[in-house]
Amino acid sequence: MVNYLILCRSLTYAQRSASVLDRAGIPAHIVRCPKGLTTEGCSHCVRISGRAFERALETLLRAGLKPEQIFGKNGAGAFEEVAFA
Amino acid sequence: MIYFDSAATTMQKPERVTQAMVRAMHTMASPGRGSHHAAALAAEAAFACREEAAGLFGLDDPSQVVFTFNATHALNIAIKSLVRAGDTVVISGYEHNAVTRPLHAIGDVEIRVADGPLFCPRDMIERFDRLITPEVSCVVCTHMSNVFGYILPIDEIAELCERKKVPLIVDASQSAGSVPIDMRRWRAAFVAMPGHKGLYGPQGTGLLLCNASTRTLLEGGTGSASALQRMPDFLPDRLEAGTHNIPGIAGLLEGLRFVRRYGVERIGRHEVELSGWMADKLMRIPGIQVFEQGSGETCRGGVLSFVAEGNDCEELGQRLGRKEIAVRSGLHCAPLAHRSAGTLDTGTIRISVSAFNTLREARQFVAAIKQILF
Repeated sequence: MVNYLILCRSLTYAQRSASVLDRAGIPAHIVRCPKGLTTEGCSHCVRISGRAFERALETLLRAGLKPEQIFGKNGAGAFEEVAFA
Repeated sequence: MIYFDSAATTMQKPERVTQAMVRAMHTMASPGRGSHHAAALAAEAAFACREEAAGLFGLDDPSQVVFTFNATHALNIAIKSLVRAGDTVVISGYEHNAVTRPLHAIGDVEIRVADGPLFCPRDMIERFDRLITPEVSCVVCTHMSNVFGYILPIDEIAELCERKKVPLIVDASQSAGSVPIDMRRWRAAFVAMPGHKGLYGPQGTGLLLCNASTRTLLEGGTGSASALQRMPDFLPDRLEAGTHNIPGIAGLLEGLRFVRRYGVERIGRHEVELSGWMADKLMRIPGIQVFEQGSGETCRGGVLSFVAEGNDCEELGQRLGRKEIAVRSGLHCAPLAHRSAGTLDTGTIRISVSAFNTLREARQFVAAIKQILF
């Protein structure tokens, strides 16, 4: 898996998450969530690289910013939900 | 022009406010409404403004900072989130119509008024203490009277509310930017404020700091959870239906940055000193009654009211206007405050200053008053 998408409940939540990750030195980009990943319509994700995934998750949870869902891209290019504690 | 009507809106703004608004008009679209660069720039401006406000007013989470059109809009959301028909509410005797009219519009609300005399904070605390009984569902209190500049003892009123477990709504329309506001200390349910007064943003901007469940005042698109027909249950989206005033928000961001750089205490001190200087001079003019705090008191901000015996306040305001001096006269949309102070029949002339006013302007104002009256 190359990239992860951290699904956030709002744009502001995504911005807070990206801001916390940036401050921790983890590159993070806010993108609109691919249509197929949510049934609720428009939402935003924070995209991070696979290398930074574990540290990013730890950083977010420590900051009290629990992701709604996390998706990773598999070898075939499709998104799969990733379980996290 | 000498502009002494900052309690209505500050007209002199930091140059960066205007520049940011122009830049926003040229480069920014709507936050959360697209993947393109213009939408991203708008989203960045909105988030930066929320973060700046959260930092200035003691909120950990910028999501709790909601953009509104003005303080009235913010107060309507706050009041209609907490108050229902049949409820009992305690308010101070110095509230603006932006508080009293929404309460009356809800209907069948018992409104208890803590209407203590001017500049007697101890008396006000006792009145609130007496009126906040178990059946009270909400307290609404202005931080600073828009007519008299009276700074109410909000720390103590917040403590009372905390102890009696009654949610508190603070109207910080006159205090934001010149008196410290700390959501952490107050634990208020809501604090409402305009962007266009002491925060030096443009007209059409306001903030609601939220620390309680909310009811929507408007419903519509939010750029989030779009497939659902109910409004999102999360802030700020829940209370921000429709396209944001991004040029206004970009300007407000620069206004907030100005306040932080200059310092809330420093701005407040300047305003109190300048208005205090004018109070002192006006009090020496025969026939003028100035509503001023006692010596040694520190409960008046940069707003000052006076009346001139034998002179209609509206006429005097107009005569000052003809001399290029902007003040406000009348009831200032706050008949309750005038009733509490005993000026409901006469109204007052209000001087309200900002960080940009000078002693030279104050001198010119006092000279103009003398010239008009004698």
